[in-house]
Amino acid sequence: MGEIVIDHLSKRFGKLEALDHLDIVVPKGSVFGLLGPNGAGKSTTTRLLCTLLKPSFGTAQVGEFDIIENPVKVREITGVLPEEGSHTLYPSMSAYQNLEYFAKLYDVPDEEIYERIEELLTFMGLWERKDDKAGELSTGNRQRLALCRALLHKPEVLLLDEPTSALDPVAAKRVRELILSLAKKYKQTFFINSHNLSEVQRICDRIAIIDKGRILLTGTTAELREQLHAKQEYMIRVTGDIETAKSIAESHHFVESVKVGVDSLIVTIDDPFENNSQLMKDMLAAGVNIIEFAEEEASLEDLYLEILSGGGD
Amino acid sequence: MARSKSMIVALADIRMALKLRMVKWSLVLSAAFGPLMTIALVAGPALVLTGPELELITSFMVPMAAALLAMFSIIPATMISANALVGEREQSTLEPLLCTPLTDNELLWGKTLSSVLICSAILVLGTLASTIGIAAILLVSGKQLIVFPDLPGLFMLAVVAPIVLFGVVSLMIIISGRVQRVYEAYQMSGAIIMIFMIPMLAPIISMESGAIGTSAIWMWNFVSFFLAVIVAVVTWAIAIKQFNRDRMVSLV
Repeated sequence: MGEIVIDHLSKRFGKLEALDHLDIVVPKGSVFGLLGPNGAGKSTTTRLLCTLLKPSFGTAQVGEFDIIENPVKVREITGVLPEEGSHTLYPSMSAYQNLEYFAKLYDVPDEEIYERIEELLTFMGLWERKDDKAGELSTGNRQRLALCRALLHKPEVLLLDEPTSALDPVAAKRVRELILSLAKKYKQTFFINSHNLSEVQRICDRIAIIDKGRILLTGTTAELREQLHAKQEYMIRVTGDIETAKSIAESHHFVESVKVGVDSLIVTIDDPFENNSQLMKDMLAAGVNIIEFAEEEASLEDLYLEILSGGGD
Repeated sequence: MARSKSMIVALADIRMALKLRMVKWSLVLSAAFGPLMTIALVAGPALVLTGPELELITSFMVPMAAALLAMFSIIPATMISANALVGEREQSTLEPLLCTPLTDNELLWGKTLSSVLICSAILVLGTLASTIGIAAILLVSGKQLIVFPDLPGLFMLAVVAPIVLFGVVSLMIIISGRVQRVYEAYQMSGAIIMIFMIPMLAPIISMESGAIGTSAIWMWNFVSFFLAVIVAVVTWAIAIKQFNRDRMVSLV
């Protein structure tokens, strides 16, 4: 049983089918990434899961609670970083007051409020600025503050929309590490919407790619690659005459493409198990000095673009 | 948790409202102008008139001043409640608030309380200031003391005004679910105040047509009371029934 179970979840805005029978299971303590272009239905999914919107059809379970039958309980165990989280703080309140207000609304015990706020603001590097008005903080600092707000009541489930957007690389790395450690240590479940493919690849256990309200593919990065039968690329590093190596590669019908780097070629090979050895033999016979022949993993970006262009059908 | 969540929301709303220049000045003006006007209306004639003339003027001026004092105390409620819901939506803070475990009732009570608390404070303090001010002026000038508020005036301030206040805020909640900008809510609030203003100030009309009398004042007080009760009950029921997170979020 998953911590988040989405069952035929659909949402219609007038004639627009924003979400069409979505089915996702996210296990407890895992990090799930929802990827998709603008308007794909990612934020609608998050808003349905945190009970801001009511589904037109289907339902979802967050923790033990159904989003339609027990919306208040769902909100109790959920921490949310909304879309453009940095703009969702009270600008005239200080960083501390923003968190204190939400701590009270989330029933954090009075005696723990100060300690928790101090811990989170210190982690995010904002403790020194706790008395500054949120409206006077930079976008990146406001994003960190919004993240603190989502984590404040130690929720079982975190719904984060673009958690590291507007953060500098160091802060983004710290947030990624925090997400992974919370998932591992406290079994908190993360549901992340993101455009940042490398980030999703680094921290998510499972990924779903969504477009026009429908899931196109779901699985781990490795499973997605498998489902797509991604064409395999190989990197051949050579010393000496790279042009000879290129012409040999291009002369083979099983080589679909050749890209030339400074000291290496990236070749796409059809049926590599059959053909790799032949290519290697021919290059060695022509006097090309091969120092490395390695498989290049298709990145999530490659897979994502391939799926959205119809490769996943 | 000693304090209810509605009160937490209300106190946060008050804190934020007091930081908005427009709301702050509206509160200052209402709080100051109500008692000043009341003192002028009641103590003014007493300084220049005597005998039956003063009695006649006082008999309708005192309840009239009470009605005006009530109106001035209620006007800021439209601004505070407009900011409490539409303002939150406009500055994108409504979404995280709706993600908290607040129930619809707690949220609406909180948003209502913020206006009710501030306006009740203005009403009570304004009444006290008026009572003391009138008494002080008349004592210093050696004139006969006039009791403010009198019984119809007290009924207006203690019974009708709080219900009208509740009705105004309920109507503002309904409006908040239909407009996108705070200024649109402000514009519509003018019409709301008019609904209540007519019966509350109707004794003035009676006075102009010559129908001056305690019975007329009591009649209009009861008209205001029943109108306020009907509007408050109906609009609160509609506000609770129609409050829709879906719609509030869709308007963001």
